[in-house]
Amino acid sequence: MSVEDQSSVILESGDGFQFIVRKSAASKSPAIRSMLDKKNAFVEAVENKIVFKNITAPVLEKVCQYFYYYEKHKGQEVCPDPDFITPELALELLCVADFLDC
Amino acid sequence: MASRGPRGKIRPPRRGLVTDQVDFDEVWAVLAQSLGEIHHKNASALSFEALYRNAYKLVLKKYGDRLYNQVGQLVTEHLQYVAVRDVKPLVPSAVVTGTVGSAIEKRNGGSKFLEQLKAVWEDHQLCMSMITDVLMYMPHQNRVYCTDHKLPTTYATGMGLFREHILRNSQYKIGTALNKVILDQIQMEREGDIISHGPIKSCVHMLESLYETEEENDNEKVYLTSFENEFIDTSTEFYRAEAQKLLQECDAATYLRRVDKRLREERDRCADTISSLTAPRIQAVVEKELITNTIKEVMSMDSGIRSMLDHEKIVDLSLLYRLISRVDKHKNVLKDMACDRLIELGRNINSSLKTPPAPPPPQPQDISNPSTSGAAAVKEEKAASSATLMAIKWVNDVLALKDKYDRIWEQAWEKDKGIETAITRAFTKFINDLQEGPEYISLFIDHNLQRGIKGRTESEVDDVLDKAVILFKYLTDKDLFERHYKNHLSKRLLHNKSLSHDAEKQMISKLKVEVGVAFTSKLEGMFKDMHLSEEMTSEFRRKQQEGEALKIDLSVNVLTSTFWPAKAVGIDSKPCSYPPIVEEAREAFTAYYLQRHSGRKLIWKPNMGTADIKVAFKGRKHEINVSTFAMVILLAFNNVAPGESLSFTDLKSITMIPDEDLIRNLQSLAVAKSTRLLTKKPMSKDVKPTDVFSINESFSNPKIRFRIGVVALNRVENDKEKKETSDSVAKDRDQQIEAAVVRIMKQRKTLSHQQLVIEVIEQLKHRFAPDMGSIKRRIDSLIDREYLDRVEGSRETYQYLA
Repeated sequence: MSVEDQSSVILESGDGFQFIVRKSAASKSPAIRSMLDKKNAFVEAVENKIVFKNITAPVLEKVCQYFYYYEKHKGQEVCPDPDFITPELALELLCVADFLDC
Repeated sequence: MASRGPRGKIRPPRRGLVTDQVDFDEVWAVLAQSLGEIHHKNASALSFEALYRNAYKLVLKKYGDRLYNQVGQLVTEHLQYVAVRDVKPLVPSAVVTGTVGSAIEKRNGGSKFLEQLKAVWEDHQLCMSMITDVLMYMPHQNRVYCTDHKLPTTYATGMGLFREHILRNSQYKIGTALNKVILDQIQMEREGDIISHGPIKSCVHMLESLYETEEENDNEKVYLTSFENEFIDTSTEFYRAEAQKLLQECDAATYLRRVDKRLREERDRCADTISSLTAPRIQAVVEKELITNTIKEVMSMDSGIRSMLDHEKIVDLSLLYRLISRVDKHKNVLKDMACDRLIELGRNINSSLKTPPAPPPPQPQDISNPSTSGAAAVKEEKAASSATLMAIKWVNDVLALKDKYDRIWEQAWEKDKGIETAITRAFTKFINDLQEGPEYISLFIDHNLQRGIKGRTESEVDDVLDKAVILFKYLTDKDLFERHYKNHLSKRLLHNKSLSHDAEKQMISKLKVEVGVAFTSKLEGMFKDMHLSEEMTSEFRRKQQEGEALKIDLSVNVLTSTFWPAKAVGIDSKPCSYPPIVEEAREAFTAYYLQRHSGRKLIWKPNMGTADIKVAFKGRKHEINVSTFAMVILLAFNNVAPGESLSFTDLKSITMIPDEDLIRNLQSLAVAKSTRLLTKKPMSKDVKPTDVFSINESFSNPKIRFRIGVVALNRVENDKEKKETSDSVAKDRDQQIEAAVVRIMKQRKTLSHQQLVIEVIEQLKHRFAPDMGSIKRRIDSLIDREYLDRVEGSRETYQYLA
């Protein structure tokens, strides 16, 4: 399955769950931004879909939530704390954040 | 985040993002293969994520440095391969072997080579950016990390490798070939060929993106280090040869146009072919070779600045100005040469006055000169006006020159201040070269106020006067001008020759604006005298009518001796014995005047006056205007019986008129044909003390009223008068210098010699330019007279003695 709409991108977890995310939000991660770069023309950019073999669905979901949270509050001086981070996943999220450089 | 809600337990990651065991060689093999695919443009078959994850794995397991080195090696190998496969075959053979191919060969071969190099470069750039992206997790991407570890970033490494293995390829000399090809192409374009700019621009762009070291200092761009110097050198050579060629082939105007075109070409070339970084340097080369080194030669050509100035080639002169401004903001060459020509033209005007084709130089109208001694009023006018004609010609020529240079200055030289000063200096120089300058300017004004402005509108008159003032400004000896102007003005006023009172006033106010009240106060005083005299005369007449009327009408001009020129009011009064009726009137006025102003002294100047007399010849009445002396002479005959005569000595003893004036007046009365009221025995053109005079009974003149003038003496100065004038000028100047010194010292108390001299010159610059010697003499004289003293201990300082 692929997304025709070029303003969005499919992020797929290692266990096969797909998240359709706005590109502008997903571009928070420089890694994702590079993957989608048309100039480089890797398979991700051609298919408009990125498969993260080493990330599980629950973690990827949080990542997507963070993308939107960040985009919504970008540039604001005062903003509510993110309420979607559960302590259980905190460490795993930290690893993923490092991987995605965001 | 943990501060809110119930404190949950932090679960350790179920499984790390990477597996525990990583074999570098295994993972690298995968990566290397993929990077190879990138080099072969097969990226779309690759998963970025997979590559990224692999690099991430290696870095996490601390294989980062190894990975970094391996990538460098991989890129090196690829570039070496590319150099052989893609670039080498296209290196133009001419460059390698050094033979010169045909233009077409050169152009095509060069273009292909450049295109290929451009393609290789673009591929490399793209690959490097892809590799960089994929290896993003490697700390070697991070500038901070790299600086800390003194390593270039992956991208910079890639660029460095390109420089080493493609451009600086020790086997194929691709970089040298590239320079040569670009320079060849530029050379072809300079010679008029058409080349395609795109490939050159891309290759130059490539050189600009590459640096000598991986630190990427801006002043170490490969473009600057390896290309630009070579470009500048070849250009210098080219333009040096071009200058010689143009000097031989072109006239000055064409030369300038070529230079302008070259400058534009080079500017455009920097914009669209090579880098704009080079623009200032290449412009400097063209300017130096084509302007600085040769402009003097160009300007001295036959078709150079002389002919441009003479024919008023505004466009050429303007171009010349712009080109010279590029290399010299003072434009000294232009200033010098333009002014040389100007001075030369000015001197021509000056000397044309002295050469035969011009109207003959005025004869000094001395009584000893037989040819003019016989001339009466008409002839006198003619001879005198030849000087005026010369003055007018001179003034008009100078003004024409001035107009021309003004036009050029305005239209071609952007009203450049420095050039204006230079032009002014040039005018000052040659105008003051001409000794008669001040006199001529005054004569020019005199002529216009007497005749020239007849029938002209006010603004036209204004223009004429303005022109005179322009020249006046250039004069250094303004006091000489004042002297002449006073003479001319006094004649205009006393002889009632001035056409317009307004114009006179206007002239004086213009002078006042130029040099101040001090200069014009005397001139204004002259007007005031005339005005007061008029009032006084009419009041005197009224008074006389109340009492016993005089037998004659008397009109008197009382002149203040300090305002008027010495010639009009000089102390050398020339008395004569007046006939009784005249004497009566004179005494009446003297009495009247002294009663009005006690303590003043009246000196009568019969040599300046005129009289209207009525005579009858053969029953026909005439009213004749003659000089006062002539009137006295004629009245002497009243007491002589008809037919009898008076000898020269008789006349002298009766009238007491000084010899010189007596002879002059007798000349106009007895020699000039149309006004011969007296007959002289023997008939000759000269009046001798032995001559005898009687009334010319057969005199006839068709006019009832006419005038008998007197041979003029002072229209043009003769040598003796010139000497007198210059002596009195010198005396005047001495006084003014002394006055200035005293004024300054009174204010400053003590002053060094140097400063005193400077201030004196400053104070007097509106009147004349004093020379150092006379200032020094005046100071010495003032010290002798104890106005000043030298300060003890320092010889060069003076103090003022109250």
